[in-house]
Amino acid sequence: MRFLFCIFLFIYFLSTQLAFSSLDREIEIYKNIRCLVCQGQSLNDSNSDFANDLKKIIKTKLDNNETDKQIYKYLVERYGDWILFDPPIKTKTMFLWLIPLLTLIIGFYILRKKISFSKD
Amino acid sequence: MEIGRQHMASDFGLVSLVLALMITALVPLLFLKHAAFKTELNYNSFYFFFKISFFLILSAFIFLVISFVFSDFSILAVYENSHIDKPLFYKISGTWGNHEGSMLLFILVISLYGFLFILFSKNLNESLKSTTVFFQSIIQLIFLFFLIFTSNPFEKIIPVPNQGLGLNPILQDPLLAAHPPFLYLGYVGFSLLFSLLLAGLITNQYSANWASIAKRWIFLPWTFLTFGIALGSFWAYYELGWGGYWFWDPVENASLMPWIASTALIHSILVMEKAKKLFNWTAILAILTFVLSLFGTFLVRSGILNSVHAFANDPRRGFFILIIISALTFAAFVIFILKSSRQGKDNASYIFLSREFSILVNNYLLIFALTVVIIGTTYPILLSVFAGESISIGPKYYNTILAPFVFVFLILMAIGPYLKWGKNFFSVVRFKFINILLVSIFLTAIISFILQKQDIVFWLGIACSVYLIISIIYETYYLKFTNLNYGRLFSHAGFGLLIFSITLNYFFSKEFTTKIPLGGSANYQDFKITFVNSFSQKQKNYEELFGYYEVEKGSTKVSLKPSIRKYNQPEQFTSETSIKNQWLSDFYIAMDYSKDPSNGIGVRFYFNYFIGLIWFSFVLITLGGFLGFIQRKNEKSN
Repeated sequence: MRFLFCIFLFIYFLSTQLAFSSLDREIEIYKNIRCLVCQGQSLNDSNSDFANDLKKIIKTKLDNNETDKQIYKYLVERYGDWILFDPPIKTKTMFLWLIPLLTLIIGFYILRKKISFSKD
Repeated sequence: MEIGRQHMASDFGLVSLVLALMITALVPLLFLKHAAFKTELNYNSFYFFFKISFFLILSAFIFLVISFVFSDFSILAVYENSHIDKPLFYKISGTWGNHEGSMLLFILVISLYGFLFILFSKNLNESLKSTTVFFQSIIQLIFLFFLIFTSNPFEKIIPVPNQGLGLNPILQDPLLAAHPPFLYLGYVGFSLLFSLLLAGLITNQYSANWASIAKRWIFLPWTFLTFGIALGSFWAYYELGWGGYWFWDPVENASLMPWIASTALIHSILVMEKAKKLFNWTAILAILTFVLSLFGTFLVRSGILNSVHAFANDPRRGFFILIIISALTFAAFVIFILKSSRQGKDNASYIFLSREFSILVNNYLLIFALTVVIIGTTYPILLSVFAGESISIGPKYYNTILAPFVFVFLILMAIGPYLKWGKNFFSVVRFKFINILLVSIFLTAIISFILQKQDIVFWLGIACSVYLIISIIYETYYLKFTNLNYGRLFSHAGFGLLIFSITLNYFFSKEFTTKIPLGGSANYQDFKITFVNSFSQKQKNYEELFGYYEVEKGSTKVSLKPSIRKYNQPEQFTSETSIKNQWLSDFYIAMDYSKDPSNGIGVRFYFNYFIGLIWFSFVLITLGGFLGFIQRKNEKSN
C-alpha cells in the first residue's frame, strides 16, 4: 500500500513538473490571459482590438526577454487577477489547493483505516 | 380566429398546471392519511393520481410548445424568447430555451421518472414502491410551487405586443435544442433515485436487494447525463468557434459535478449489492448526486455564473432554489441519520487488493476530482461575493491537478475488474497484469517512435490508456465473449479511448490566430492558409458573411468556408465554423466579423488531431451506460 502510494506520488510530482510546459511559450501565455472584452475567451482565441493590442504588448515584452512572471505581473497590476486564467497563489486563493490536498489526506487516512492486509 | 386559438392554448396550459399542482398535492396527502390511520392504501388509485399529475404536466408542456409555435405574444415567456420570423424548429426549442419553459421541462422529467418507475416496477413490493412515489410527488410538488409562484410560464403581458424579442442566436442550433432535454433527463432523473433511497430508509428495506433495484435507476439518468454532456461538448466545439471540446467553463463544470458523483455511486452500489458493505457511503453518494444536480441547475439558472450581478437583479428565483436545495438536503440527512444505523454497519474492513478495495480507491479518486471541480467552480463566486475580488480559474488549474490522477485511475480501471470480491486474488492474476503492461509499453514505444514524440506526460497518457484498452480486449478474448459485462466493457473502453485521444489531441493539435487580407495568405509551421474570397448574404433574420479559405499542409489541401452571422433580433454575432475532417483529425476555421473584408478578416485556425476519436469515445461511454441499464445481471457474484 505504502509502496503503491509512493509510486503514485512520484508519478504525480514528475508529471506536474513536466506537464504542459512543452508547448509554444507565446501561445501558452496568450491562452492564460482573459480577453476582457470577450465572453470567457482567452487572448489566444480572440481577434478583438483589445486582444490584438495586448498581444502586441506581450510580444514586445517577450522580445525584450522578459520572464513570464514579469509579464503576468505587468498585466495584473493593470487589470487585476481576473485577467489570469491560472490564479496566482496568495492567501486568498490558497484554499484552491489546500482543500483538495486536505481531501486527499483525509481520504487516504480513512482508506488506510478501512483496509486490512490479512492474506487469505 | 387564429388569435383566439392561441390564447386558448395558454389558458389550457395554465389550467393544466394548476390542476397538476392540486392533484400532485393530493398524492402525498393520500399517502399520509393512510399512514396516519394505519389503513391499507388503495395502491392502484394512489398510482393513478400520480399518473394523472404526469399527464397534466405533460399537457401543460405541450400547450406551452403550441403557444411558442403560434407565437402567442400575450405570454411573457414567448414574447421575451421568440419571434415570428424564427424557423419552426427553433420556435419549438425556444420553449425550453428560457427560464420558465426549462423549469416546466424540469418538472416534466421529475414526473416522467415517477411515471416510468410505476410502470416498470410491477414486481416491487408495494410499501417500497408507494413510498418512493410519495417522495417523488413531494419533490414534484415543491417544484410546481416554485414554478407557478416565481416563474409561471403562462404569465400574461398586457397590452399584447406584435413582435417578440427573439431567441439568443447562439441557442439556435439543432444540437443545442437537444442538449437541455438530455441533460435534464440525466440531472433530474436522479430525483427518482433520491426518492427510492428515502423510501428504502423509511421502510427499512435499504439492503443489498435495494441496491439491485436501484442500480438501473442510476444507469438510466447517468446515460442521459453522459450523452447530454457529450452533446454540449460537441456543440461548443463547432458552434462557439473556440476550437476545443472542453473549456472547464463553470457551466460545463455544473454538469460534470453530478456526473462524477453518480459515477462514484454506480461503483459503490456494486459493493453494496455484491459484498453487502458500504451502505452508508452509498446513501450519502445518492443524496450528493441529486443535490449536486440541483446545485448545477441553480448555478446555471440563477445567472450567478455569467455575472454575480445578474443574480442580484432577480434574487428571488435563485434564493428559492437555494432554499429548496437546503430543505431537501436537510430532510434527506435527517432521514438518513435516523434510519441508517439500523441497517448495514460500515465498520466492515476491506481486504487489500480485493474487488471492493479497488472500488474504494475508485471512490476516493472520484471524490478528490469532485472536490477539485466544486472548489474550482464555486470559489471564484464565493471570493467575489465575500471579498469583492475577481479571479479566473482556467483549464490549467484543473489539468495540472487532475491529469496525474487520471493516469492512476486508468490503471485502476484496468486492474479492478480482474480482482475478486472479498479476497486478495492478486498473486493469481499478477502475470496477466505484467503481460499487459509489457504489451502496452511496447505499443507506447511504437506510437512514440511513429509520431516522433518524446515526452513523459505523453508516454504516461498513452501507456496508461493503452493498458486499460488492452486489458479489456484481453478480458473479452479470455472469456470468449460469454458472461461479459458489456456495460462496463464499453464504458471503460470508451474512457480509455477518451484519454488516449485527448493525449494525442493535446500534444499534436495546432492553433493559430491571425488576420489575413483578401487574396493574401498566412503561414504557420507547416500550414499555409490562403484567404481566397468572401461575400455576404441576407437571410430572413440575419446577415451572413462567408469566407473561402484554402489550407495546405504538405500535400493535403482542403478548402474551408466559415461564416459569421449578424442577427437582427436581438443584434448578436454567431460564428459558423467550417470543419473538414481528414480521417480522424479536423481542419477548423472560425472567422470574425468585418465591415470591410478586403481589409482582411481575423481568423482562428485549428488543426485538431484525432478529435474524431474523442466523439467516438463519448458514444462508447454512453453506450456502456445504456447496456448497463438493459443488462439485468451485470456483475458476477464472485
